[in-house]
Formats: sequence, structure tokens, C-alpha cells
Amino acid sequence: MLAVRDLSMSFAGLRALSGVSFEVREGEVRAVIGPNGAGKTTLFNLITGALVPQAGELSFAGASLLGRGAPAIARLGLARTFQQAQLYRSLSVIENVLLGCHAAGRSGLVACGLGLGRARAEEHAARLWAQECLARVGYAGREDRIASELPLGEQRYVEIARALATRPRLLLLDEPAAGLNDSETDALADLLLQLRQSGLSLLVIEHHMRFVMRVSDRIVVLNFGEKIADGVPAAIRQDPAVIAAYLGNDDGTART
Amino acid sequence: MCASCSTLCTEPAPMPRRDRNLWFGLCALVLVAPWLLGGGYFINTSNFVAIYALPAIGLCLLVGYCGQLSISHAAFFALGAYASGILSARQGLNPWLALLLAQVLAAVVAVFIGWVVLRLRGHYLAIATLSFTIIIEVLIKELGSLTGGLQGLSGIPRLSLGGWPIASDTALHYLLWTVTLGVLWFALNLAHSRMGRAYRAIKEGDAATALLGVDVSRHKIEVFVLSSLFASLGGSLYAHFVTFVSPAAGSVMFAIDIILVLAFGGFDRLWGAMLGVLALTYLNEYAVTFADYKRVAFGVALVVIMSFFPTGLLAGLVAAGQRLWRKGA
Ligand SMILES: Nc1ncnc2c1ncn2[C@@H]1O[C@H](COP(=O)(O)OP(=O)(O)O)[C@@H](O)[C@H]1O
Ligand SMILES: [Mg+2]
Repeated sequence: MLAVRDLSMSFAGLRALSGVSFEVREGEVRAVIGPNGAGKTTLFNLITGALVPQAGELSFAGASLLGRGAPAIARLGLARTFQQAQLYRSLSVIENVLLGCHAAGRSGLVACGLGLGRARAEEHAARLWAQECLARVGYAGREDRIASELPLGEQRYVEIARALATRPRLLLLDEPAAGLNDSETDALADLLLQLRQSGLSLLVIEHHMRFVMRVSDRIVVLNFGEKIADGVPAAIRQDPAVIAAYLGNDDGTART
Repeated sequence: MCASCSTLCTEPAPMPRRDRNLWFGLCALVLVAPWLLGGGYFINTSNFVAIYALPAIGLCLLVGYCGQLSISHAAFFALGAYASGILSARQGLNPWLALLLAQVLAAVVAVFIGWVVLRLRGHYLAIATLSFTIIIEVLIKELGSLTGGLQGLSGIPRLSLGGWPIASDTALHYLLWTVTLGVLWFALNLAHSRMGRAYRAIKEGDAATALLGVDVSRHKIEVFVLSSLFASLGGSLYAHFVTFVSPAAGSVMFAIDIILVLAFGGFDRLWGAMLGVLALTYLNEYAVTFADYKRVAFGVALVVIMSFFPTGLLAGLVAAGQRLWRKGA
């Protein structure tokens, strides 16, 4: 459903991505791994329209993503979370998730200002949906808590709920397990598998190898902006190029 | 259907109950005010409160909610006032029609200005909108044949109902406050709707917002136009109320006065803006006797408030009070 073709991007001469191609199939969990600085986050920024690629093709469900702004790409059914959770710090948990519902909203400024019945009905429906999204990620805290007061782990779950609220077909997660302990990481893996079960496709950046091996159907490996391997977990585990890339890095496979 | 969900969605309207009660309270106050205040001076000043509340409410939505610091509200106030005045006094149009056309003109100008300046951020946006205010101020003074120049524009007809001009303080009181209450009600609804939420998200940062599919620039333009329209509506009502407009209506000084109102009441609080207008308008009336020092005093007050209470004096005091209270409890 997502096709990446010969994607290249450089920043002031530094090649962050060069000629990367891969695709994500409907209903699969696709992982992107690679050492720090390999270009993984840059890849997400290009797919979601936060950055414009210098070369290559991007298409989603048959439509090209090039030349569309970030809001239009999001409305095609792509949602993401960030390496550092990007919640609205002064807004409450439920308001953050409701912002995920915003783009689908129909009532305009006048309807909202007049407090028309249809604006109120829409708000009510959005609230129920936002609560459902919070329940889906298992957020059990109070929904009127201010986001900046949440521990980082909870912020990440709220961010996933906000992404789910946009009703995406493909969800991009940037290092969702970073900073979690083993049992929290297992719980997160359960959540991702549950989301896949519900028909969502996922593209996940992660370092945590045990987590990646458990959740992903196929793995793309990036190193210095180039794709060095692509395949099912069992094949990636034994790939000599992957082992070489990771052994030369502190972040290696030893971290399981 | 609602039994299972939180208290939040038992609200039938987007506006929280507290705001609705306050609003109805204000309606009741407006209804009885002519008896409480008697005729004359107090009611006359309260009519100015109703007028100045309009640009303040507009600026509160634009700056306090959406985070777009604009110094163009005096310019839109003047645009409304002069357009209304010129169309009715010079062109002989019915004052209601003049008022309506003035808002159409203001909306067109706001769409254009908004489209140009809202790409800018922070200080640049403030400077661009300040420049617009200065241009309008200069135009008013230079286009004397149209605007009356420094002498101002006089002989603006009053609004009338069924052939009777609305001229008594009490009649004006009900007219002006009906408009202001309506605008306040609209703004309160908006602030608590999905739009208000989007404005606060935009204020915090654009990047993640666009990635959620929110059309940031469209929201910014919409709220800019709405907020400018509130200001120009205030200007038109002012013109037909005072029956005279002078270049002071479009001055940078007036623009700063509107910001001072928010600095006093709290930038993101509509009720704070209302209190700020009330305080500043009455203060202004009493300060007539030492008018020369007024500007200095207000300037110093603005700097002091912004240094110690960046969210606004009242809002800052309330927050400080709550902190003390929590510590005590
Ligand atoms: N906006 C940017 N400007 C300049 N350099 C960038 C920018 N974004 C990423 N880079 C550089 O591109 C390379 C890849 O970064 P990134 O995609 O964040 O890697 P990863 O997520 O795999 O750790 C790094 O060397 C980084 O410094
Ligand atoms: Mg990264």
C-alpha cells in the first residue's frame, strides 16, 4: 500500500538517504532498523510530507505523495508518532486525542460559533471516538490531565491514541519502545500486534531487537542512508551485512 | 448513550456550564443596568465598554487562543468607523446598509491582509500588522476630502429603528450591549469548540498539527478575518453612536490600548478581556484630568505586567492565588 522508490535526501552535502526502495503491504508490520543516524527518522519525515524528497517516488494506495502538503498526506490515511512524543503540552489528554479527530470534522467556524446542533452532535461523536482510541491503547489515566504532567511512557500511548483518532490505514511509529523496560516493551508489542489484527498496517522504527523480531513481518535495514537488507526476521538475523553494520555500533544486537 | 461517558460530554453545548451561567448573568445585568446606573454618565461610559469589548474579544481569540500577535485591530476599528461614516454621512446611505457594507469591506481587506501576513511568525507578524495600522493612520490623515483629515468626520447619522433614530443613552445601551453579548456568546462557543481547540494547538506549534491533517493556514486566516470583523463592527457602531470619528480611532495608541486590555485581563480569557475593557474604559474616563501622564502610566503598566505576568495581570494573579491556596491546603 506504501511504495518507496529510489528515495534520496541530503542535508548540506550530508547524504541522509540514498536510493532507498521498499514497500509496505496491506495489513503487515514492517520494521525499519539501523544504527543511529542511518536516516530512519528522515525517511518518516519524507513519507509524511514534513520534508520534500530531492529524488525518488512515494506513493500510497496508488496515489503519489509528491507535491502534496503534510495535511493532505495525513488525510489520505497516514499517521505518525515522533521519536520524542509531540503532544500539545498545555492541552489535556482528551483534547490531544480530539485533535486527531479534527481533520475529519465537518462543522465550520460559523456552526461552531453559533453552537448549532450539528456542531454539538459532531463534538459528542468525536469525544466518544477519542475515548475509544484511548481505550484501545489501554490508557487508564484521567483524560482531563494536562499532557505535560504525564510520565513519558504515558505520553507515548496518548500520542498513539491521537494518531489512531485520525483513522489511519498506515501508522508510522518512530522508536516507540525507547526508554521502556522489558515488561513495558512486551505490552507495547502486544498492542502493535492487536492493531495489526484490527486491519491496520504499521511501519515501525525500532532499535530493540527482541521487540522487532517479535512484531515485524518484514524488516528493512538502513545503514548510512542506504538499504543494506530487506526480508523476514529470520533472514535478517543471519544476514552478514546486518551483523557487520550492527557489530560496528554500540547500539548492537546485544541489546535484547 | 451518555451514561457511560465522562462528565465532559454531558454538556449539551460546546460552552461549559460556568461560562453559560456567567453569560446569562451578564444578560440580566445588562437588562437592569439602566435602573442601577441611572441615566447619563455611567450608562454612557458603559456603552463605550460594549463597543471596545468587540475588538478586545476579537484580539483575545486571535492572540490568546491562536497565538498570532496582531497590532492591526485599531486599523480595522477605524476601517469600520470610517467606511460606515463616509457611506452614510457623505454618500447618504441608510446607516444600517452603511454598517453592513463596511463589514463587507473590512472582511475583504482582512482576507487580503491575513493572506499576506499570516505566513510570518512572532515579531515579524507583529511588525507587519503594526505597519498596516500605520498605513491606515496615514491614509486617514492624508485623504482629507474623504475622511475629513485631522478634523475628523462629523455628522454621521445614528442607527434608527422603524424611522426613529436610536439616540437616548438607554436605547443605545440595549442596542450596543445586545450586539456585544451576541459576539461574546459566539466567541465563547467558538473557544470551546473544535475550532478553539485547533487554535490552541496551532499556538503551541505548527509541525505536529499539520501532520494530523489540520489545515493550519486556513484556520489562521479564518480567525484573523473573524477577529478583524469584530473590530470593524465595533468601529461602525462607534461611528453611529458618537456620530463623529477622528484619526485617533485608527491610531497605534488605540491599538496598544486594546492590547493593554488583554494584558490586564489575560490574553486567553474572554471574561478577562471583558473585565479588562470595563476597567480600562472607566479608568480612561477618570484619567481625563491627567491625560498627559495617562499615556506614560499605561505604557509603564504594560511593560510591568508583561514582565511579571506574561499571560495577563488578572490571569496571573488568579494562578498565583491558586498556587498559594494549594500550598495552604
Ligand atoms: N533537518 C535536518 N537538517 C540537517 N541534518 C539532518 C536533518 N535531519 C536529519 N539530519 C541528519 O541526517 C542523518 C540521519 O538522521 P536521522 O534520519 O534522524 O537518523 P535516525 O533516525 O536513523 O537516527 C543524521 O546525520 C542527521 O544529523
Ligand atoms: Mg531517529
